[in-house]
Amino acid sequence: MPVAANPLQPATPRAGVASEPDAVPLPGRLQATFVPNENAMAWWGVQLLEQAVQEHGLPAGRPGTCRLAVADGSRVRAATVPVRLVDLDSAVHALRTPVPPDEESASLRTWREAVRMLDDDDAFAALGERMPAAAHGALNAEGTAIVTPTVLLTEFRQALRARAALRSTTIHATLRPYQQHGVAWLTARPRSGQGGVLADEMGLGKTLQAICLLASRRTVGPHLVVCPTSLIGNWRRELARFSPDTVVVSHHGAQRKLPSTVPPGAVVITSYPVLRRDTALTRTRWDVVILDEAQQIKNPDAQVSRAAAKLTATAAIAMTGTPVENRLDELWAILHVTNPGLLGSRNRFRQLFVTPIEQRRSATAAAALHTLIQPHLLRRTKADVAADLPPKLYSTVVCTLSDEQARLYRKAVDRAFSDGFGVGIARRGRVLALLTELKQICNHPAQYLREEKAELGRSGKFDRAAEMLAEIVDDGERALVFTQYRAMGELLADHLTETLGAGPTPFLHGGLSAGRREELVRDFQESADAPPVLLLSLRAAGFGLNLTRATHVMHYDRWWNPAVEEQATDRAHRIGQRRGVTVHTLVTGGTLEDHIAAMHENKRGFAKIALGRTDAALARLSDEELHAVIDLDSGALA
Amino acid sequence: MIAAEFGSTPWGRAWVRSVAAIAASGPNALLPRARTLARNHAVELTTEPGRIEARVSAADAVQPVHIDVPLWSPQTQAQVRRLLEKSLAEHPVLIAGDLSDSFEADLRQEGIPVAAGLDELRAECACRSRKRPCVHILATLYALAQQIDERPALAVGLRGGATDPVAPPLPGWIALTALDPVAFYGD
Repeated sequence: MPVAANPLQPATPRAGVASEPDAVPLPGRLQATFVPNENAMAWWGVQLLEQAVQEHGLPAGRPGTCRLAVADGSRVRAATVPVRLVDLDSAVHALRTPVPPDEESASLRTWREAVRMLDDDDAFAALGERMPAAAHGALNAEGTAIVTPTVLLTEFRQALRARAALRSTTIHATLRPYQQHGVAWLTARPRSGQGGVLADEMGLGKTLQAICLLASRRTVGPHLVVCPTSLIGNWRRELARFSPDTVVVSHHGAQRKLPSTVPPGAVVITSYPVLRRDTALTRTRWDVVILDEAQQIKNPDAQVSRAAAKLTATAAIAMTGTPVENRLDELWAILHVTNPGLLGSRNRFRQLFVTPIEQRRSATAAAALHTLIQPHLLRRTKADVAADLPPKLYSTVVCTLSDEQARLYRKAVDRAFSDGFGVGIARRGRVLALLTELKQICNHPAQYLREEKAELGRSGKFDRAAEMLAEIVDDGERALVFTQYRAMGELLADHLTETLGAGPTPFLHGGLSAGRREELVRDFQESADAPPVLLLSLRAAGFGLNLTRATHVMHYDRWWNPAVEEQATDRAHRIGQRRGVTVHTLVTGGTLEDHIAAMHENKRGFAKIALGRTDAALARLSDEELHAVIDLDSGALA
Repeated sequence: MIAAEFGSTPWGRAWVRSVAAIAASGPNALLPRARTLARNHAVELTTEPGRIEARVSAADAVQPVHIDVPLWSPQTQAQVRRLLEKSLAEHPVLIAGDLSDSFEADLRQEGIPVAAGLDELRAECACRSRKRPCVHILATLYALAQQIDERPALAVGLRGGATDPVAPPLPGWIALTALDPVAFYGD
């Protein structure tokens, strides 16, 4: 079977980096170049860079290297140049300070002019004509061309406006440098009337970047977020957390009704199943439409994809963590919704790209496709932005309770409280039994009802976990999944074995012999064809296990003891490990999982709960207090 | 339906037909060998209006191939341009580098051949075979047909026709080769 070439890889490998002469020919005067990919101004051009920057009264920024064009004798060539990168706001502030003319390089001079005429369109156009190439020398991916001054000046202004818009809205988060660039890229999309695909690897904060985009556009019209049902709660939560001023409307469930007018800037959250049959959504004129987990529309014949294509919006942004560029049909389907026409009709796309790339590994077709989609697709992997990331990246994923789960949950709570808990030892036993039941219901009704098989669609957490693990495996990464229940581990193992297509998913639990456990660990760590996901019972995953090949850790259910969970996480992460680890904690919104997670986070509430030993502490609460902790918060459900 | 390996679009197919014409009077054993070479990525190919340059790796040797393709006359080129504009008006949404299949049909109807006949080509290959066209030249033409299938505008460009309304030189970018090293820093 032919292996598809990766159209996102430049046709000519970037061997340029290795084959370039060692010494970069520097001009000997300090230069300034705006580098859109870094969303920063680069100072460069002299050997003693930091000193020169200081002498010019400019901020020092952070050290780095950039791919820039340089003049080398009789030609202009690509080079990897040592630079100091300065965040746009401080660069603009410093460049506004007047200096005597003619003492600086032309590139620095034109950028000083640029920041003084940001609001003057004509002057800006004229500036482009006298801007030296060094001032706009950021290279394309292939290292064969630089961006025109007109395009770069436009991007520069857009980046500044995006930052101003963000400052004027309250975003309760500190964006990492690559996220700032992502937001600048995203905010440029509706301005140019085009959609796009944000395809950052899982864990890099796509949702936060999208929320910044939505929050920065308050006046044009309402926004729509479409996501899998299992993620609706997460979107609500993240919007409330990062952008509390944003009006949020959940459009989901049987009682849903879209208000006749949704105010500009408000965000309507809905699910793909609702999008499929709800005509009110396709009748509304949206400003920005976000299609989260866009692999949901990968089949262009499906009703949901057709409904997505029918949405009217200034710009549609698809979000996906899977490497879509390797699946050409999926790529077409998604871009057909976000950038209609870019890839032509489906048949023509197959003729011009899919057949040549998949059947004969055509490098020319792959390069042509790359050129075509590159401006509309932003993908960063963790390796790309490693310098910006902490060694452990924590992410809490709030999952939506299914109707079946909500019914079982309410019934269990009602029955326990009407039967009563008694006192002393008996009370403790009954409280613990109830907690176990509720945790099982959150995990999957099949675990609670002791069924053999866990289907999709019955548990928001289970669906979400399956989606995330599929994505991790697609990315060629490895994951550890911890649960405290043997039964849940078995259900997950069966499902993953069936769906991941990577052979039987092993489950390391206390029922296995020591030898078998060692074998599983060794396999996961060393074997070339070991399954990419290893399930572990939190209890059996004791000390001394070394599972550093995993780059993702998922806590499927909570032990409610941060120290124990951290210890489990450190199976994958060792101090000094080169690769970072992303830790995903799944929480079912509105349930006791959610309430207790909030107590842990805030270090508030019932002190002993917050300090661990949660189960025992809950048993000591009064009925009323206990009810407050475990009752279903219907506000957090919808 | 599995697309034809060579000539999956009418644009590439025109060239495949030109090549296959040498088998009109009887089977030609070179054609399957030429297709195998093209299939195995043995042909490296560049084109410019009126000219094809290739390097064909076969049997441990690399054969340079040059092929001159007759350009359309200025009158024909003007006619092609008119038809192109009409076609673009009818098919406003095309992938960059694509041309509609009906445009090819229009050209055929007007008697404007997209591909040149083998007898119209001036082809040179450094190989020692006395047979002309040799397997390397034929392989080059098969590889050309595939590239045209991926980018139909190439077929028109090769005959000197203008395709710039369809394929502008990457907007927003300036090739490094187009930059003046003396004026690079502006001072």
